[in-house]
Order: sequence, then structure tokens, then C-alpha cells
Amino acid sequence: MAGMKTATGDYIDSSWELRVFVGEEDPEAESVTLRVTGESHIGGVLLKIVEEIKRKQDWSDHAIWWEQKRQWLLQTHWTLDKYGILAAPRLFFGPQHRPVILRLPNRRALRLRASFSQPLFQAVAAICRLLSIRHPEEVSLLRAPERKARKKKEKEPEEEAYDLTKVVLAGGVAPVSFRGMPAHFSDSAQTEACYHMLSRPLAPPDPLLLQRLPRPSSLLDKTQLHSRWLDSSRCLMQQGVKAGDALWLRFKYYSFLDLDPKTDPVRLTQLYEQARWDLLLEEIDCTEEEMMVFAALQYHINKLSQSGEADDPPGADPGLDDLDAALSSLEVKLEGSAPTDVLDSLTTIPELKDHLRIFRPRKLTLKGYRQHWVVFKETTLSYYKSQDEAPGDPIQQLNLKGCEVIPDVNVSGQKFCIKLLVPSPEGMSEIYLRCQDEQQYARWMAGCRLASKGRTMADSSYSSEVQAILAFLSLQRTGGGGSGNHPQGPDASAEGLNPYGLVAPRFQRKFKAKQLTPRILEAHQNVAQLSLSEAQLRFIQAWQSLPDFGISYVVVRFKGSRKDEILGIANNRLIRIDLAVGDVVKTWRFSNMRQWNVNWDIRQVAIEFDEHINVAFSCVSASCRIVHEYIGGYIFLSTRERARGEELDEDLFLQLTGGHEAF
Amino acid sequence: MGESNEDIDQMFSNLLGEMDLLTQSLGVDTVPPPEPKPPRAEFNYSVGFKDLNESLNALEDQDLDALMADLVADIREAEQRTIQAQKESSQSRPHSASLDVPSFSGAASLGYTANVAAPIISQYEDDLPPPPADPMLDLPLPPPAPEPLSQEEKEAQAKADKIKLALEKLKEAKVKKLVVKVHMNDNSTKSLMVDERQLARDVLDNLFEKTHCDCNVDWCLYEIYPELQIERFFEDHENVVEVLSDWTRDTENKVLFLEKEEKYAVFKNPQNFYLDNRGKKESKETNEKMNAKNKESLLEESFCGTSIIVPELEGALYLKEDGKKSWKRRYFLLRASGIYYVPKGKTKTSRDLACFIQFENVNIYYGIQCKMKYKAPTDYCFVLKHPQIQKESQYIKYLCCDDARMLNQWVTGIRIAKYGKTLYDSYQRAMARAGLASRWTNLGTVNAAPPAPFSTGVKTGTTQANGQIPQAAHSMSTILGEAQRHVETTKDKKSGLSNHDPGAPRAQPLPKSSLPPPPPVRRSSEVGCGSPGTPPKVKGAAAGFPTPPHDLLPPPPPPPPLEDYELPPPPPDLSDAPPGFVPPPPPPSFAGDAGSSLPPPPPPPALAPEAVKPTPVVVKRPPAPPKRQANPGPPGGGGGEQDFMSDLMKALQKKRSNMP
Repeated sequence: MAGMKTATGDYIDSSWELRVFVGEEDPEAESVTLRVTGESHIGGVLLKIVEEIKRKQDWSDHAIWWEQKRQWLLQTHWTLDKYGILAAPRLFFGPQHRPVILRLPNRRALRLRASFSQPLFQAVAAICRLLSIRHPEEVSLLRAPERKARKKKEKEPEEEAYDLTKVVLAGGVAPVSFRGMPAHFSDSAQTEACYHMLSRPLAPPDPLLLQRLPRPSSLLDKTQLHSRWLDSSRCLMQQGVKAGDALWLRFKYYSFLDLDPKTDPVRLTQLYEQARWDLLLEEIDCTEEEMMVFAALQYHINKLSQSGEADDPPGADPGLDDLDAALSSLEVKLEGSAPTDVLDSLTTIPELKDHLRIFRPRKLTLKGYRQHWVVFKETTLSYYKSQDEAPGDPIQQLNLKGCEVIPDVNVSGQKFCIKLLVPSPEGMSEIYLRCQDEQQYARWMAGCRLASKGRTMADSSYSSEVQAILAFLSLQRTGGGGSGNHPQGPDASAEGLNPYGLVAPRFQRKFKAKQLTPRILEAHQNVAQLSLSEAQLRFIQAWQSLPDFGISYVVVRFKGSRKDEILGIANNRLIRIDLAVGDVVKTWRFSNMRQWNVNWDIRQVAIEFDEHINVAFSCVSASCRIVHEYIGGYIFLSTRERARGEELDEDLFLQLTGGHEAF
Repeated sequence: MGESNEDIDQMFSNLLGEMDLLTQSLGVDTVPPPEPKPPRAEFNYSVGFKDLNESLNALEDQDLDALMADLVADIREAEQRTIQAQKESSQSRPHSASLDVPSFSGAASLGYTANVAAPIISQYEDDLPPPPADPMLDLPLPPPAPEPLSQEEKEAQAKADKIKLALEKLKEAKVKKLVVKVHMNDNSTKSLMVDERQLARDVLDNLFEKTHCDCNVDWCLYEIYPELQIERFFEDHENVVEVLSDWTRDTENKVLFLEKEEKYAVFKNPQNFYLDNRGKKESKETNEKMNAKNKESLLEESFCGTSIIVPELEGALYLKEDGKKSWKRRYFLLRASGIYYVPKGKTKTSRDLACFIQFENVNIYYGIQCKMKYKAPTDYCFVLKHPQIQKESQYIKYLCCDDARMLNQWVTGIRIAKYGKTLYDSYQRAMARAGLASRWTNLGTVNAAPPAPFSTGVKTGTTQANGQIPQAAHSMSTILGEAQRHVETTKDKKSGLSNHDPGAPRAQPLPKSSLPPPPPVRRSSEVGCGSPGTPPKVKGAAAGFPTPPHDLLPPPPPPPPLEDYELPPPPPDLSDAPPGFVPPPPPPSFAGDAGSSLPPPPPPPALAPEAVKPTPVVVKRPPAPPKRQANPGPPGGGGGEQDFMSDLMKALQKKRSNMP
């Protein structure tokens, strides 16, 4: 044992004094001094420290951090010699798990304990297990951006952070589900609320906030984000993260394996949130039409999420008796069948009859809207000169199946028009129906929409469709129809929903709210029947379908080139992009890649592709470690498909993404 | 017998009541005349109807047999279903109700089976419900036990909804069918029955069986619009009847069965569409080298993710300006959400793009000879239009590519954007089918022999039936088309005609008059038909066809089947059965209203609801050209109908007699 002394007090063994600070990296911290020799095992040292401290406490999570070497002494059977600890090391005896504030993809803050001693890859896996997000390999952490903007502005109200630091997860066991959530969330009301925050999409952001948040104005700006990724092969402590620091949790690799609404509510929701914010903050560009679809989906998702509607499919009720089952299956089968079937008459089909004003745009006519008696039955719209003539021949009869229904509404102007583009062998005939009020409009509009899909108003979705339209109209009323370009601030989102919260700010500038609403409404009709998770999935799919989806940008300089260029890294390819214009110069696919090497000294990545194509570049905006890790990560993810269902091959991941520890 | 007659009477009156109910509401439906725009229902008919003219003439035994087999199978199926339905509700159900359902359904399903061919059948079906229905019952279904007849009537009322359910089920049973004439690549045609649930894939499979081709994935159904000069292949997942329903009645459109390698080119060589070959022709060569494994992973990557990847595609195309023959060059981009273009003075970043079209409501077609027709810069055109548009219209968009490769890329890209993963699934199914077929041929080299001669036999058969020269059929078809157009206009009159037809004969001692004699049935090659116990169903139907002589059969009948109808001698054995089933009072009354068509009140469009859909009559024309000229529309219609009907009848009979 270390510390053998002679009678005079001289140490006769080769022991020496080791001073260890207790606590996190605080120079003022109390310290204990032990006598050790080079042969002392770390385990023994730990024991001694605990004895010295003389405090009763659970020390099991504590370990020694060697500050100069930025290294944890975790191997308890190693000796000090083996670690190379000689004189005057600064050692800290502190907890391995420390609280951090995690900024989730939905922009909410969450306090939890993360491992500061394991490689980030494992730490993230543990966090994901806690949050019940599958496939942690797709997720990683970034440093929070410097907060210089904050200082200028008025101080942001300190937002409450959800706290999960108390929650302890039993290791190794798959989380059990309890009351519809992983068991560890159901302990207290607080954690339950936290789970709801995680698994339910949040309300659209305040448009003002949206306008204030920084948005990338160029490709160059989009490269900023990617310089902040943490290194997944090293631990948080090694990367200078301190307890209480804020970190962002994001999906890093845009290759989402096996998204399953049933098992992945949190993952799906967070992915949706990330996609939504990507779009709102213009991290990814889309066209106007696409934005309307995204907005409609957000609106729909928000509505479902707010109403707390369970995500159960309606047919899951086991109590359905035979007859009902038969009838409902019948209904499904009969959908879209020819409407004039004999027996249809047995089941009464509701019809709409009313005086409406009709306008048929024609060349060389100045006629405006004319009052007509309009009868809407099944999928056919007929109109007559007057009600008295209704039994006779209509002026015109239109089968709306397959037609396009376009709302033309202005609530404040009390204009409720339905534009119909009805296909016929000769082309499309255009007709406008003008309704008197919202109620009438909603009924007719819903009927038209169903008819365009070949369904009648007897369809079960009719009433919900009417409600959806009314809800949307009220949204338009409250959503800043009057105040034009200036949305009404945070309180507007309380009563209605501001359409500006659903679209990227550039559309806020481009359209007035009252122009936006009908377009969102129009897009909404195609998604109105989706369930919450279906809608989220649809949103994610639409996001994935964008041409620029999943490209991470880094500024690089290619070997032999004199100017900086952008390297885009996607899940299947590398893209060389002109920095100024944004044009794609060249694409290389990972499937053709032979090998890639990193020269850490000169920060250069060299890649060899099939047919002796060699590419080399040095990294400018981010370290080459990040580029290297991206490439390796995607290669790793592509191996998952084949090994589906197998345990995550962590070694392979670290092998592919690591390799630079030596430096 | 007397008792059973009473039973029948009662059943009958019940049935009538039921039908009244049906037809009253129906009357309302059908009263508004289809004025300028014929309601869609009518299109259904028009599609096959020209087909029928030729097809039935052209039908060879095998074809007819196949059609009949289809029909019979359907009837069986329907019967099964109704029996089932009946069982469900039989407990509580009055005898009468249970009775009328099956008879009705049997008829209805049959009527629907041949929608195109329907006129006849539906009439014939109408004949069924009256008295003879009873005997017929025992054939398809077990007699519905008359015991529980009166006692539970009240309960039955209470269970009205159950009956409703049964009726709804019947609705299911009425599956619309079209006889579609498919043009083969050797100028022959084949007629096949397509029911409304069948996808193009099913029809292809059907054709594979009939043609014994190699079943490779390139085979497709191909629709061509001669008028618009556009064409496209059906996607395998498309519903054929739905597509054909959009055709107008006088359409010249055709369905072809041919090989198009463009159909699944993207899956065979995905690299040509997915890999970066922007502006480089020479890269094509390197791409060709891609090995199977890489292709597979490329496909997996593109089609098996959470969302599919639409090939990146952009470039300058010519767009035809609305209503003009001038073309404007614009820069277009393909995105999953639609086609976009770069507005003047803007860049091609997402935010500046203007939407040109979205794919929800349009199909993509190849434009044919647009250079000639619209002065297109090149002949590599593609066309986007709403499937329902059949005539020239400003809503049809024409785009023109620089070369064939670009055209192929755009068309394929748009299809991927529009159909997504479905396309890949279809391909895999097609591959599986092709694999199966090749294994078949590999397995049986011995087997391989028979199909070949067989298929050629089919071909020669059809051409013969068409009158030796395949072209004759075509030319005739156009003329017929005109004639039919003419016929359409006189539709009302005809329907009136047909109303009378069935009624008249039935008043007479029906079955005997026109019954096709079983024993001598058409050179009756394959089948040893002519069993005495010919099903009453057939009788009833045959009875519906009044005067065999006055039809316009070609004197030297090339298609032997027709002969039978001119052989009036009624077989003695058959005459035994019928008399028993001809109850004097009901039939006339019934024939008066229900026989001609279900509804008693509305006289003119009074055809049975099923018959409304397919404009009745005029289904068939005699094949011989001279005749065709001789007779104009209406009268020919009646006769033609009869031909067809009798054909069907005979085949049906044959089948029936084969089936115990």
C-alpha cells in the first residue's frame, strides 16, 4: 500500500501526494490529498477519496477527470502509471452525469442529466432512450449558438424548462409502456406534461417571433449551423461542455429508418417539429404551392393536437356489431360507385337546394352573377331559372366528380364564392357559385368537395368537412383579416390561428393574411381527413420530397481551386455547389466511393471514387472532423438497411466517424 | 301445383311491390333527360359498344366461351352471395322477400356483368322475375323453404333494415362490366370482359393467358386518342373501366396491347434517370455499366424510403400557348409537387419558381405528330390533360422536348412524381408475373408446344370471323360508329322498341318459340351440350327474344353460332317443363310493366335502371359488309341485339348443360 513511512516520517516507498478536487471543475472546490504510488489502481484511489471526504452520499456516479489531459480516468483497474499520472495533475472527483439544457427540435428547453464521460454517441443514445426516441444514431447534439443578438433586444422572458433531471432510467431494459406513455414519464404530473410536450406537436409560433428569429439569407449562412456539431466519439467534458450548458438536440442524418407512428410518437413529433422549423425559418426553400400544403398540414396537425384527439383509427371499436360492420364495410366498397344505382334511392341521400347566384365566365359576355335555383344532389349540380321550374329541365347540369373546387372567399368583404372547374369531354367548364353567408357556403363547399372525390353528402365525412370549413372561416376573421400586413401579436394566436404562423416570413411579406387563408384552406381540403400521425408523416414526406432536403452545407476549398465553394452532404451523395450562384457543379454518390481519408494536419479530406476519380478539399467553415463524421455517418446509416433489426453496431459507427483521437 | 301457384302469386305481388318501390324513386332519378351532357352513366356503355359489334362477330368459340365462363362465374358468385345474405336474414324473413332477392340478384348480377353487352342481358333479366323465376330458383340455389312463409311476416317488417342490408349487398353484386376490344400488335383484336374492379394488371394477366406471349414487364395496355393525337400506357394499378368510362360514346379511341419498354425503363436502368447526367451525353455509356447490385440499391434508395425520390429534372422545354400554334421556350423544373417554370428575370431557386401544373388532376400522354398538327418544334411532345377531357381544349397542355431522351425523362419523372411508390410496386408485381411465366415455359418445353399453335389458331379465327380481312373490321367499325351515333339520337324510340319486344313474345307460349334447340347446338365442337334439362333461365331469356327470323343475319352465316337461331324446331323434351311454369295471370301483367323494365310509371326512359346505364339496343350488327350498308340504325339494332343475345344464350346454355 502506498504511504509506508519510517519512524521519522519519511516515506520509504515511492509514494507521493495526490491532490484531488471534489466536485465539478471548480478551482475553489474542496480537495482531498491522498498518498499514492504509481502502482495504485484507480479503483483504490476512488475508495480512498470517498473515505477522505467522510460524507455519506451516493458516489457511484463519480469519477476522476484529469483536466490537463482532458480525460476521464474510468478504467478502475488501471494504475496511475498506466494513465501516466505523475506530478501535480489537476484531478477532479466529480459526477459523470451532469445536467444540461437540451433545446429540442420543437424549440422547447428540457433539463436533463447527460453523461459527460461517455462518448457523445452513447450519451445521445441514453438521452434518446430517456425521451423514447428510437434510432439515436440519427440524432446528435450541437452547441447552442452564441447569444449576441440577445443582448441588444429586450430580455426574453425566462421560459420554463421541463425538468427530467430526477428521472432515472433503469439501464438495459426496454422502457415499458404505461398509460400510453413510457413508464418513466408517468411518475408525476410534471413528467407527464413533459411527455405531452415531447409527443404532441406544438402550436404554431407567434408570427412576430418568427420574423425576429434569424434566418439564413444565403447558402453561406446555412453552413453556419453545421460548424457546431459536437464530436460523437468524444465525451461532452472533452468538448468543453459544462454542466448547465445549453445544447441543441437535432436530427443530424437525414435518413430516417422505419418511421412508425405507433412506436415512435416522440420521434415522429420531433422530426415533424424540426421539419416545420426548417421550413418556417427558411433553412430549406420551397415553392409557394408547397408552402401552402405545409401550412395546411400544420393547421390540421395543430387542430388535432389541440383537440387532444386520440390517434385511434375509428374502426378499432370492438363493440361494433355485425350489421354495423357490414354496413360500414359496404360504405367503403360503394364509395365512388356509380351514383345512379337503383338501390341508392333506398338510402336517402341528402341534397342541397337553394337560391344561389351563379356566374359563368364566357368570352364576350358582360353578365355578372345571376340568381338561380340550384339543386345539388349526389354529385350533380343542376340549376334552374327559378324554383318553379325545378321539376323541368335545368339550365345546366354538372357532374362534379373529378372537378376542381377553389374557394374564393373574403370574410370581411362578405364574399363567399366557390369556383368550380368541371371537366367534361370538351374541356373544363368554369362556374362560380356565390353564397350568402358562411353557413350556406360551408354546406355547399363541403358538398362540392366530396362530390369532386366522387362521394355524396351522405358520406360520413360531410359534417366534419362543414365544420372544418367554418372553423377555417373563423380563422380568417380572427387571423388579422383587417389589419393587413400587421399580424395582431401574440394574443391573436390565442383565439384563432394566425396564418402567418404557418408560413415562412417571406410569405408574410408577400401575402396579406386574408389572401393566405383561402389558399391554405384550399390545400387543406386534401389533407382534412388525415389523422394526427398520418398528417405528421405526410408533412415529413413532403419535406423529404423537396429537392434541397437533407443537404448539410459546408464551405470548403477544393484542391487546385482558388475560391471557396460549398460542399453539400446528403444521405447518398456529395454535391459541389457554386458558392455565389448556388448552382450544382458536380455530384458524387457514396455508392461509387472507394475510400476517404482525412489528413488532420492540413485539414484536408481526400476521397477516391470508382474509376480513379479523386477529390480533395480542405474544410473552411467547419472542421474536417465534422465533414468526416457526416460522410462516415451516412455510410454507417446505409449499412443499417441490411442489418435491420440488429443491435446498433456502435463500434462500426465510431470506426467510421472517429479515427482522429490521436490528434 | 295449384298451391305453388298461389305461392308464386304471392311472391310475385311482393316482388312487384318491391319493384314499385325501387322504380318510383328511380323514376325521379332518370326523368331529367340527359340533355346536352349525357350523364356519365351513359359513357359506360359507349365504350364497349362499338367493340361489341365487331367483337361478337369476331368472337371465336374460345372467346365466347371465355366470356361465358366469366359470366357464369359471376352468376355463381352472385348466387353464392345472395344465398349467404339470405341465410343471414332468412330466419326472420318472409318467404317472399327471400325469394325475390335471389331471383333479382341473379338477374341483376348478370345484367351488370355485361354492361356493354348489357342491353340484351338486362332485358333477359327482366324476364326472369316473373313466374318462371320459381323453377329457375332451384337451379342456382336451394329452394328457400316455403314453410316460414306467413307466420313471421310482422317480424320481417321489423327487420326491414336487414332486408335493406341484403339489398345493399345486392348492390355489391352488381359489378359493372365492359367488353373491351383490345387491338393486338398483329392487327388482330381480342375481346375481353373487364369488370369495374379490375386493374390494368389484371387485364394484362388475362391477356397473357389468352395470347401466350412471353409475359415480360414491357407489355402494357395502351390507349390512343386518334382525335387528339395522344396516347399513353395504362399504369398497372389503374382501374381500366374507370379510364374507359371517360371516353365519349362516339370515340375513336382504342385500347392496344403491346410492348413499351418505356413503361418500366426506370426500374431496369434507374441510373439513366437518377444519376447526374446533367448536360452530358457521354455519361450514358458509363452509366450502362452499372451493375445489378448498384441498380438495386439505387432503386431502394429512391423508392423504399419514407418518401420516394423524384428524379432531378430541369431544362428548357417548349410550351404550346393556349389556343395558338405557337410555342414558347421556358425553363421547367420537375418537383414532387408539380412542374414549375422560371418566370422571366427570375432565378431557378425554389422561392422564385412559378407553378405550371400539379399532377393531381392530370394524366400524362405522349403527343403524336405534334410537329404536323400543332407546328411543334420537334416531335418529342408530351401532353398533360384531365382524363375526362376528350376534345381539343385550352385545358390540355402541350410540352415539347428537344430529343427523345429528354421526353422519356420527363414522362418518366412525371409518372414517378404522380404515382410514387405504386409504380415500383407495380413493377415488382409485373416482374413476378414475368418470372412466373418464364419459369413455366422453361419447365415444360413439352408444354411450350401447344400454346403456339393454339394462339395462332385464335388469330386466324378472329380474322376469319371478321370477314377474312382484318382491315374490314376497322373500316366497318368506323362506319358503325357513325351509324351508332345516329342510333343514339333515336335512342328513345329504340328503347320503346325494346320495351315491346320482350313483352310480346312472353304473352305467347314463350319458351318454345325461339328456344335454341339444345341438341343441334352450333357445330358444338368442344362441348357435349344439349342436355334436355336446359336451365329455365335460358328459356326465359330466349323467350325474351321474340322473332328469330326478322333479325338480319347474314344468309351465308360465317359465324356458325348464329345458325342456331334460324333453327326454330323446339325440342320436344323441353316443352315439357315450361308449361308448368307459365301461370296464366301474372306474366302478362308483369310483362307489361316490369318485364319491359322495372318501373311502371315512367314510360319513355322506363328501361330497367341497369338498362339506363348502357344505352340499350344496338349492340351488334351483322358482320357482312353489304348488309351493313343495307340497314341503317334502328332496325338493325334490334336484330343485332338478338344475335348477340342468342350467342350469349347459347353459350350460357352450353355451360349450364355442362354443369350439373
